[in-house]
Amino acid sequence: MVTERFLPRADLDRLIAALAESGRTVIGPVVRDGAVAYAPIAAAADLPVGWTDVQAPGSYRLQRGGDRMFDIGPPAQGLKRYTFPSRSPLTVAERDADGGVRFTPAIPDPPRLAFLGVRACEIAGLLVQDRVLAEGPFVDEDYRARRDAALVVAVQCTRAGSTCFCASMGTGPEVTGGHDIVLTELDDGYVAASGSVEGDRILARLGLEAATAAQQADSAAGVASARTAQGRAVATEGLRDRLMDQLDSPRWAEIADRCLACSNCTMVCPTCFCTSVGMESDLDGATTKLERTWDSCFTGDFARVAGGNFRPRRQDRYRQWLTHKFATWVDQFGTSGCVGCGRCITWCPVGIDVREELSIIAPPYEAAPLTELPVIAGSPGAYVPATIRSVTPETADTSTLVIEPPDDALLATRPGQFVMVEQPGFPPLPISVSRVRDGALWLTIRAAGPATAAAIALPPGAQLGLRGPLGRGWPIERAVGRDVVIVAGGIGLAPVRPLIDAVLRDRRSFGRLVLAYGARTPADRLYVEELGAWPKLDLEVLEIVDRAGPDWLGRVGIVTQLLDQRDWRDRAASAFVVGPERMMQATVATLAAGGIPAERTFVSLERHMECGIGLCGHCQMGPFFICRDGPVFAVSELGDLFGREGI
Amino acid sequence: MDERDAVTSALGASWFGAGLSIHARASLADCAALREYPAGTALLREGDETALFAVVARGRVALRMLVPERGPVTILTVEPGDVVGWSAIVPPYRSTSTAITIEPTELLVFEPRQLRSLLEADLALAATLYPRLLEAIGRRLGATRNQLLDLYAQQAEPVPW
Amino acid sequence: MTARTEHQRPRVGVVKLASCDGCQLTLLDLEDQLLPILGRFDLIEFPEASSLRSHGPYDILLVEGSVSTAEQAAEVVDLRSRTRMLVTIGACATSGGIQALRNAADEPAWRASVYPEPQFISSLATATPIAEHVVVDAELRGCPIAPDQLLELLTALRVGRRPQLPVESVCQACKRAGNICVLVSDGIPCLGPVTQAGCGALCPAYGRGCYACFGPREEANVPSFHGWLSRDRAPGEADRLFAGFTGWAPNFREPATRAVVAIEEADDA
Repeated sequence: MVTERFLPRADLDRLIAALAESGRTVIGPVVRDGAVAYAPIAAAADLPVGWTDVQAPGSYRLQRGGDRMFDIGPPAQGLKRYTFPSRSPLTVAERDADGGVRFTPAIPDPPRLAFLGVRACEIAGLLVQDRVLAEGPFVDEDYRARRDAALVVAVQCTRAGSTCFCASMGTGPEVTGGHDIVLTELDDGYVAASGSVEGDRILARLGLEAATAAQQADSAAGVASARTAQGRAVATEGLRDRLMDQLDSPRWAEIADRCLACSNCTMVCPTCFCTSVGMESDLDGATTKLERTWDSCFTGDFARVAGGNFRPRRQDRYRQWLTHKFATWVDQFGTSGCVGCGRCITWCPVGIDVREELSIIAPPYEAAPLTELPVIAGSPGAYVPATIRSVTPETADTSTLVIEPPDDALLATRPGQFVMVEQPGFPPLPISVSRVRDGALWLTIRAAGPATAAAIALPPGAQLGLRGPLGRGWPIERAVGRDVVIVAGGIGLAPVRPLIDAVLRDRRSFGRLVLAYGARTPADRLYVEELGAWPKLDLEVLEIVDRAGPDWLGRVGIVTQLLDQRDWRDRAASAFVVGPERMMQATVATLAAGGIPAERTFVSLERHMECGIGLCGHCQMGPFFICRDGPVFAVSELGDLFGREGI
Repeated sequence: MDERDAVTSALGASWFGAGLSIHARASLADCAALREYPAGTALLREGDETALFAVVARGRVALRMLVPERGPVTILTVEPGDVVGWSAIVPPYRSTSTAITIEPTELLVFEPRQLRSLLEADLALAATLYPRLLEAIGRRLGATRNQLLDLYAQQAEPVPW
Repeated sequence: MTARTEHQRPRVGVVKLASCDGCQLTLLDLEDQLLPILGRFDLIEFPEASSLRSHGPYDILLVEGSVSTAEQAAEVVDLRSRTRMLVTIGACATSGGIQALRNAADEPAWRASVYPEPQFISSLATATPIAEHVVVDAELRGCPIAPDQLLELLTALRVGRRPQLPVESVCQACKRAGNICVLVSDGIPCLGPVTQAGCGALCPAYGRGCYACFGPREEANVPSFHGWLSRDRAPGEADRLFAGFTGWAPNFREPATRAVVAIEEADDA
């Protein structure tokens, strides 16, 4: 338990003096040129007393307010200029008259500094850069020397600006490590605690009283208010995967229309570390000074090679920056690259807000992860009576029932989900919902046995029991911005119809759409009128039947014949497949050969279901309860269970 | 473009022809003809001596078998790029189904006797043509087996009783 | 094209067309480096600095100024034929300069409003960059050019390397220098984000917005930036920001032209 002490307001100068001993220069926030930036300070009077700032996308304004020293947000530019200066000598290269060469590497000789006023997000930034520059297989000696030579006196935030989002990035506002001393400002002084041996020593020399319970409570309340005051957040759950899934999103081009590729965001970011080797030589090239200079992935030459440029367009560069910062940084260094300081939002000349862009490009998945489903009517007996509005025959043995549920819960059914249907006197039936429209559920049922035959024989006005919606539906968000390939066999067209409805409602969000539909014979095809109408809505419809009479002028054969000449290798595509399991396996193999990976191919599986909610145990396949973990799965989730005998 | 160029081009553009060597395509082009057929033309009759071997360039050909109680049943359609009349060069040189164009169709047509003589004389051509033909027939066999399983007939929401 | 031996200094000329002569002055501003430069380059033609004259042929010719008269149009073609490496220096030579704004205007009317006897002024209706007349081998941008970039160019020619002329925004230079952004913190219009660096972010260091002396940078997104600048300004104010020393450069030309036309219309009204 770290002892918290209290430093009276008037005694801040004593702390500054203690930091300045042993030859340290104290660096703290000062008001300069219309903003707050870090600079050497000599006394508390140099700090931004009575100043606060208002930060918004593309805007930073200083304002007078209150009495405090540290009521400011993240200063312009931060500590990077001291830990990782914009220009840093690397080596001097000399060539003499005989052609010999000599290199004199720069020896790190960092100034001894003490940073005062460091925020939680800035400490997080230092720790992120530590991983990049000092904890990998190759160490930047200058950076490490500077970090070792600097003391960190943190000041926890007791207010937050509209561009702050450290809370959602998990980097603040509390300071939990990486500091030598941490202060929290109250009206009459600071609650102070040490975070290191050096910090202990300094605080001990100041001879401070212990903080009272009231002071500690005020301090905690202040930091808590900084947390709640934060506005727009970033949904970080699964962000890495969500973002990498959207490399082909049309949104990148839209952002590129606004982005100036001016590099300001990378320049002000506390974690950006990209540099170039700058060179200055004498007229004969005999002596050349090489330096490390800040560079940015937004500059024209950043990705240039002799043959061309790997990132010629603004949209390529913006995508590189955003995906590196929030996704691939995790792969490289184990944490996100962003610490939520909001500087990139404030200092962007056209006010692009990464939080907004992330929520548009990589929204959180709607489909619940494997073990989390919304809790619904838990009892296998909790049916509600629903009234049949109409019955329409589709084929000789299949009809579509349009059913009105008694309340709205069932109308929230998502594409790919199913309901349990109960008729008194018959066992319950799991039936996919083939459409939700005009306050009713559409169920397409094939008379395969007595219960289903009875269901489709009911007249309009009769009632059935419904329970649901159940199961995980089609993950449509995994197809946004991509081509969509839907493959249905036989009655499998019923569970994909709501997927088709959803995609056509938002046609512009998807690339090319194709439906490959296989049926037994022409007379067994479902939704014949819609099959004819969908091409007019920019959905390509390919059909094939197992066999036909002489009146059929379409294709005859198996459904994979519709797909085996197609290639999606140069396009990003997602596939949704449903039908007899053997047909799904053959289709998945054909799609994979055509370039749609298993992570992007979704199948809807079928097993014997009694309860539909994972309690009766019948529908298990390996570790999965098909009713609850499925019926929709990504093929990659199933691994070699898919198509295995007797599983 | 003269006829021979048109033939060579159509052959090279087809799935079947793309799998043959340049020598094979050139040899075949010498005895092939591009012909147009209106919809409803019977190219082959089940059981008869096979009247032609052809690569479909454009259109669609239905293969039908007669089931007396049911009438003619289409068991496969042949799309552009694939072959019709493989039995022209496989004994007993009789058609296994009736082939009818169901759209205006353009075919690269070979006369069976002429093609058989060519294959006997040009072993290099035979060595590349028969494997490709086996491949085409193998694909067809695979499709046929799946159709035979009649998968959609078993399909329904599973009902215990 | 390099010069490595002591015996063969490259023959260098410095000439000007329609310009203020500030760019060639930059060579003289290199003061401490001047003697070493002259030791390594044979300056055969530089009317501003030397009475030594030569019509070439030149190994390297630094050309300042835009083509503004018929005589200059002919002269630049003639110079090109006697030059191995032609380097344009400065905003006038690389984008037409401020005088190129007349390209968007009714030139005779302007001429008449400036000169009492305009019939004695024989200039073309347009002032155009050198590259619109002859092939240019290299360019140094700026108004005036930056002394260290000129030195770098000469060094690169001597050593045989590609000149280290970074392709980046003025913002990058500003941030490296630790300047506080005048646009974000004060709303002062600054063209830095769409302007090529090279000057070391001189103006923002003094709290003044960038004029775009070095012209539009690669990937300059003028439509977006213009839209942003227009938010808090009267219509046409944002256009005027682009009608400067490099207003005729392709990326800036559209708003610059609108500004010139608007001025003309206001004058007529």
